[in-house]
Amino acid sequence: MKVSLKWLQTYFDQPLPPAEQTDDAFTFHAFEIEERKGDLLDLNVLPNRAADCLCHRGIAKELSAILNIPMKSDPLRTPVENKGLVNPYLKVEIEDEKKCLRYMGALMKDVKVGPSPDWLREALEAVGQRSINNVVDATNYVMLNIGQPLHAFDAAKLKKENDAYAIKVRDARDGETMTILSGEEYVLPKNVLLITDANADSAIGIAGVKGGKAAEINETTTDIIIESANFDGTTIRRAAQSLKLVTDASLRFQNRPSPELAAYGMRDVLALISEIAGGEVIGIVDEYPARSVQEQKVSVSLKKINNILGSDFTKAEMEGVFSRLGLPYSEKNETFEITPPFERTDLTIPEDIVEEVGRILGYDRLPAAELPISNVGRTTSYMPDQARYKGIEKVKDFLIDRGFTEISTQSFAAKGDIILANPLDKAKPALRTSLDENMKEAMERAKYVAPLVLAPGEKPKLFEIGTVFTKDEEKLEIKTSEPVSDLPAIQDDANYEPQKYQLGMYQPFSIYPFITRDIAFWSSVGTDDGFTKFIIQDNAGAILVRLDQFDRFEKEGKLSLAFRLVFQSFDRTLTDEEVNEIMQKVTAALAEKGYEVR
Amino acid sequence: MSQQGRLHPITIAIRDIADIFGQMGFDIASGPELETEWYNFSALNVPADHPARDMQDTFWIKDHPGKVLRTHDTSVTIRELEKMAKNGETTKRMLSPGKVFRNEATDATHEAQFYQFDGFAVGPTGVVTLAHLKGTLTRFYKEFLGPNTQARFRPSFFPFVEPGIEIDVWFQPPGKEGKWLETGGAGMLHPNVLRNAGLDPEKIQGFAFGPGLERFIMVKYGVPDIRPFYSGDIRFNHAFNEKPL
Repeated sequence: MKVSLKWLQTYFDQPLPPAEQTDDAFTFHAFEIEERKGDLLDLNVLPNRAADCLCHRGIAKELSAILNIPMKSDPLRTPVENKGLVNPYLKVEIEDEKKCLRYMGALMKDVKVGPSPDWLREALEAVGQRSINNVVDATNYVMLNIGQPLHAFDAAKLKKENDAYAIKVRDARDGETMTILSGEEYVLPKNVLLITDANADSAIGIAGVKGGKAAEINETTTDIIIESANFDGTTIRRAAQSLKLVTDASLRFQNRPSPELAAYGMRDVLALISEIAGGEVIGIVDEYPARSVQEQKVSVSLKKINNILGSDFTKAEMEGVFSRLGLPYSEKNETFEITPPFERTDLTIPEDIVEEVGRILGYDRLPAAELPISNVGRTTSYMPDQARYKGIEKVKDFLIDRGFTEISTQSFAAKGDIILANPLDKAKPALRTSLDENMKEAMERAKYVAPLVLAPGEKPKLFEIGTVFTKDEEKLEIKTSEPVSDLPAIQDDANYEPQKYQLGMYQPFSIYPFITRDIAFWSSVGTDDGFTKFIIQDNAGAILVRLDQFDRFEKEGKLSLAFRLVFQSFDRTLTDEEVNEIMQKVTAALAEKGYEVR
Repeated sequence: MSQQGRLHPITIAIRDIADIFGQMGFDIASGPELETEWYNFSALNVPADHPARDMQDTFWIKDHPGKVLRTHDTSVTIRELEKMAKNGETTKRMLSPGKVFRNEATDATHEAQFYQFDGFAVGPTGVVTLAHLKGTLTRFYKEFLGPNTQARFRPSFFPFVEPGIEIDVWFQPPGKEGKWLETGGAGMLHPNVLRNAGLDPEKIQGFAFGPGLERFIMVKYGVPDIRPFYSGDIRFNHAFNEKPL
């Protein structure tokens, strides 16, 4: 949710606290901050709060509760006056009351469409929106301000019958098409909900997603129909998914804001349009099938709150949280009965209230408690059951002792019995049926890189223990790069203690090719191997990445030594010529010290 | 000297983790990687068509509707809770390290497959609290990353827990500046999850957590890129000095 701090400030008389303080307030009590840049604060509002906090009012309410600073006024606590709800000039029909929970429509006449005033254009641009015209901007502003998606249609583009417009909210018919505001034409699947001009039987919008081009507002528009509705979250989510058209409206509706909000949205948008575009409200119609849904109370005891949090918060502290959040409550025998305001659709069970207490008072106030050693069903002598895991680790340790190195590879494969519906790598759309293919690949590479990581005379030996997927089952497979005749089967072993290791810091390796050179020479008996190595290293320089001695024998009073040198650069491919040059330098240096290079 | 093999760093880390949690009484469980939609989502209070499903990009299986590659090891948690209910148990602590899958573009810090070590501890009402989660994870981070490590809780949302939190860990690699790292979600198991497992949320409560594993290895040992973990390249094993303890 992109929040403009200037916009947020309009909710408070006193200046907002400095950035650091507001950042901490959101981070530790409400939402993670994705970005802060000048006037813009981008907050990560997760699905649990998307019904009430994808708007400046919701964010302002949170900040007010967290920092305990009063809001100047709260549009959702200012009652809507229900007058003028009879409108003979606009009819609304809802085909399926489960898909459209409320539809408010208003007809305005003699509106003057034009550019928005600076404050409005700037407010929208501050949160990354484009200013279009005063009417459209007003609908967007109110949505970003209190969270109710709104839409405006050009009434003149609808058909009138008996002096009245008629809106019908219905499912799309198979193959029905519509061109949206941006100009793309969509073929609409049957389950997509439409806003239609009932008199003309034609679509003018995809409900809760996007308006249609047919009733677009432009400079010549004078009469408008404003929609403030509430559509079923699942219906809208499926429509947005199937059309691949996720919009500000669909994001809000899929999170099921309260249908009560529609009235506040209508009130605010009509006031704003009147203010900036003039015009006269002819009437409002309110079809509200879901009106009878009762408000839900949530009961939770002080004991339960502290029992879940592991805290000892007092009654006064908890009551302070409820007041700051604007949650009406009553209390009796240390049990609270809370009546969440309509917009807090997320508060339905006692645990939701526990979370409100925990996060507002702050999780930093919770002690770090150790789990009890002994409790019901457990004694101090309880041995945790890690038998299967230990049995697997035992086989790994067996293979490590035999010189095998463990690899871990991708579970995806080119071919297999189980195919992904949506693979990431089109070349590997299946799940592996065995570890063979990856082992083969890994071995090829291991043989190539062996001089870099293994001593001369060592050969790469690999194993993997991993899950494979066949038509009938998913199972754990052991794969070794060469046969191990006495390889034990995996068996549970509660008493095995897996070998533990200390790991050093990661030493990055180069992805460039390497070059190996062997060098052998005679020296006098008693020559120090370490000193010899030092001479080689000193002259070979930084691109010598590995030096192994692979031979040492005495003959006729002389000592023969042989070394393997591996050269590799971190930033380029080496040439034979430069390695030859280095080898000449090494040879010369050894000769100077009396070594006789063979 | 005979040739000695090398374990993969993931195995070495899991052994450390299993040991630390073992000392706190945690069993180890495993479960299928090819999971049902029920155990991966619905039983965990993420019903079909819920916006929370967008929080995890999921691999679906062709011709097998209702099957997914598990997006978290929390699927093992619900399976284990279900076993508890069948056995009439009221107390359990469980860790389930394992591979999980997300359909996300790969880069230096994201892989389509990675490891998590989900865990949970439950007991009779009031015995295992959010404060115990704090204590348990703080102890783990200190033992795994070093005694100067600190953990902090922030509010967050995961449908299978309520309250839901995100854990940040303060970690200072040797010779580098310390910083707060996001390590994963946690919280108190949602009553719907306990109910779906066949347990009575009025009688049983507990916490669950699910950190990613590679991230810890990367910060602890200074690995800049997640991709070599599953490359099958033995240079990755050899990029660490491995000393038996």
